[in-house]
Amino acid sequence: MVKNTMQLWLKKIKSKAQWTAWGIWYIDPPKDVSLDGYRIDNVIQYTDTVITIYFSLVILALIFFIFKYRARSGHTAVYDKGDSKKHVMATIAMGLLVFFSIDVVIETMSFRDLKEAFWNFPKGENVLKVEVMPQQFAWNFRYAGPDGAFNTDDDVVPALNQMHIPVNTPVLIQIAPFDVIHSFFIPNFRVKQDATPGMVNTMWFQAVETGNFEIACAELCGNGHYRMKGYLTVESQEAFEQWLADNAPQEDEEDEWDDWDAEVDEGNREIPEEWGWTWKEIQ
Amino acid sequence: MSEHHEQTFCSKYIFSTDHKVIAKQFLWLGLFFLAFGGFQALLIRWQLAYPEQPLPWYLLGNLFYEGGLMTPDHYNVLFTMHGTIMIFWAITPMLIGAFGNFIIPLQIGAPDMAFPRLNMISFWTMFLASIVLLASYLLPEGAAAGGWTSYPPLSTPVGGIAGEGQTLWTLALTLAGTSTLMGAINYIITVVRMRAPGMTYFKMPLSVWGLWLTSIMNAIFVPIIAAGLILLLLDRTIGTQFFIAGGLATVEGGDPLLYQHVFWIFGHPEVYILILPVWGIVSELLSVFSRKPAFGAKVTAICMCTIVVLSSIVWGHHMYTTGMSPLLGKAFMFLTLLISIPSSIFFLNWLGTLWRGNLHFDPPMLFAMGVIWVFGLGGLTGLYNATVTSDIYLHDTMFVVGHFHYTMAASVLFGGLAAIYFWFPKMFNKKMNPLLGKIHFWVSFIPLNYVFFNMMVTGYAGQHRRLYNPSEYEFLAPISDLNISITTFAIILGFSQLIFAYNFINSIINGEKAEANPWKANTLEWTLEGPIPHGNFATTPTVYNGPHEYSNPAVKDRDWIAQSEPMPT
Repeated sequence: MVKNTMQLWLKKIKSKAQWTAWGIWYIDPPKDVSLDGYRIDNVIQYTDTVITIYFSLVILALIFFIFKYRARSGHTAVYDKGDSKKHVMATIAMGLLVFFSIDVVIETMSFRDLKEAFWNFPKGENVLKVEVMPQQFAWNFRYAGPDGAFNTDDDVVPALNQMHIPVNTPVLIQIAPFDVIHSFFIPNFRVKQDATPGMVNTMWFQAVETGNFEIACAELCGNGHYRMKGYLTVESQEAFEQWLADNAPQEDEEDEWDDWDAEVDEGNREIPEEWGWTWKEIQ
Repeated sequence: MSEHHEQTFCSKYIFSTDHKVIAKQFLWLGLFFLAFGGFQALLIRWQLAYPEQPLPWYLLGNLFYEGGLMTPDHYNVLFTMHGTIMIFWAITPMLIGAFGNFIIPLQIGAPDMAFPRLNMISFWTMFLASIVLLASYLLPEGAAAGGWTSYPPLSTPVGGIAGEGQTLWTLALTLAGTSTLMGAINYIITVVRMRAPGMTYFKMPLSVWGLWLTSIMNAIFVPIIAAGLILLLLDRTIGTQFFIAGGLATVEGGDPLLYQHVFWIFGHPEVYILILPVWGIVSELLSVFSRKPAFGAKVTAICMCTIVVLSSIVWGHHMYTTGMSPLLGKAFMFLTLLISIPSSIFFLNWLGTLWRGNLHFDPPMLFAMGVIWVFGLGGLTGLYNATVTSDIYLHDTMFVVGHFHYTMAASVLFGGLAAIYFWFPKMFNKKMNPLLGKIHFWVSFIPLNYVFFNMMVTGYAGQHRRLYNPSEYEFLAPISDLNISITTFAIILGFSQLIFAYNFINSIINGEKAEANPWKANTLEWTLEGPIPHGNFATTPTVYNGPHEYSNPAVKDRDWIAQSEPMPT
């Protein structure tokens, strides 16, 4: 019993060491399997470190003051309004120190990451384009098919909530919901993008590992919000192409749609079969 | 007073125009809803820890839900109403309604508010709003369930919430906004026009500064949300489509994003509307209990003004993931981060007040120092959400929930409790039990930190907000134990407030009579012997000193001097 507890603690300490962030150490975020997710982890880790230092200083000062300046017989306060030039300059200087050591640094990191990664949408032949249409309470995905164009007859529309992508390939997503606002969130990829009715939003990510991951809806969308879950499969290029071919539209499409209906939860709206849109080119 | 006609029970206690009575009315209303909203929080926590398991007897599960089991509909109602109630029906009446009413006229030496009757109407509009809100629970479809933000199209009938509860929510919020607006206009004009002779702006206590700036923001931003809510109400009732687009729209031109902008143009300043009174009150209390002038009081006031201006141009940071243009995203991020300069300056001023002071750890001081802790953490964790990249991951997760509970719930709750412990002797002319107050502080402070800090941890682990059942997701399996322990501490936190409830009510009934100035404070309200009559000051006081002349060497034998007392030369 004691030994077991010891082992458990040792295991905990070991996993703690794996995550080097200062602030939040005992729960790891979901494993990052994306090309650029580390950038977000780095910003968080830097912020963790610096705010832990500043907050510790504040607490140390507070404890010191509580002890040193506690009311007791013979002790009096110093009459000091703190409005001398020296004091005002000192507080402003410390405020600016905080600003430059945290805000300016994370802002620079963030601007760089947005420019290099998150808002730098990939171009070229190698990019896989996917259209996503969330609805209450499911995810619809659409791939362009052999002709490379969306909203055509050969579009590949796999079963509901199923998304497959090849590993090490940039995936460019356009997302627009059918009904209310949803938000496309893949914790393992550190990405999130709202889907707002009336507009088509763009996001991209790239997987560096194969595996199965969960897609969550991060924006309240109704009673079924909590079970609006998608499944992302990252696989090799060959497996992905095979999967696309398996899901290519067939003659007996009727049956496929029946399966869909069975999977769609009760209370869902009927969505038009041809829900795709022509790919919106980014300027 | 010149008017000396007989006051009936009704005109004295119910439809009173006396700001002190209205303050108490707001206080009771706020405390009632604080308990009500807090209880709902426990139900939410139960569901997150033990998803789809019957509620225990002490959470009265069987009373509310069949078999004690809550459904997703119930859950959505709970977090929607918890947020709405805590912000608009608990904090707003408690801090702005009660303490705004009570301390503004007393601290600036005014006989009453500028418009006493408007003040009374303000309370009764709020009361009407409360009835409308509570009535929505009785509807067959239940109360509102669109989240406290109630984003359309979800919050419109075509978007999924067809019940009249959401309509009543919109109506109740509009009424509450009207009440707030009436109060705000009253407070602003009272401060501008009715200060006693000698009470210059920089001789006003910082608590008045905070409440005054809050009122200015209320007057500017509440009409904006009112406009948005009225449009939403039209979308709900007469079939307009201001906020409906995409597959649900039958006409062109609606835009759900417009609502988000309107909501957050109000919604972000709202955060500061709630916290500014606390900043002011804490600055003031730290000075009183350190027996030392508030450090850099003028700079603190200027910082608060700067934050008021900045807070009105940063709303976009709530919308980083909506697909906003990179230029806007960067601009909002930069502006948001700028707020950390004035915030850190006045935060340092708080520490400066304690530095070389003579600290008395009475309950109001403990809670004020608690605010330093929780607001420090809350403010610093805001950095993650202000930064576009980390916000991509953390947006709409429990991290955000933990963060704003630190800033809004924890800071505001502690600030409000500090204010209650501090002004209770003046409001009710009775003493509160200080020992129970100190126990109350520690049994609140420790579980509160456990709960809100670990909410951030669960968000960091990826748990998204408004989630009925976290066990639906495999990636949330590692934190199921943490969710249970958070809930345990939340229940401890909730039930330990009974100590406060007992102390508060028992002190009103059985408390010892309080002296006029128990804290030896300088501000004008403490020069009055209780119970303070309608009209407050027998003769209008003349103000000679600033509010923070503690331990002034010119004053012999004591470490304070009332603002209306000439400084000995």
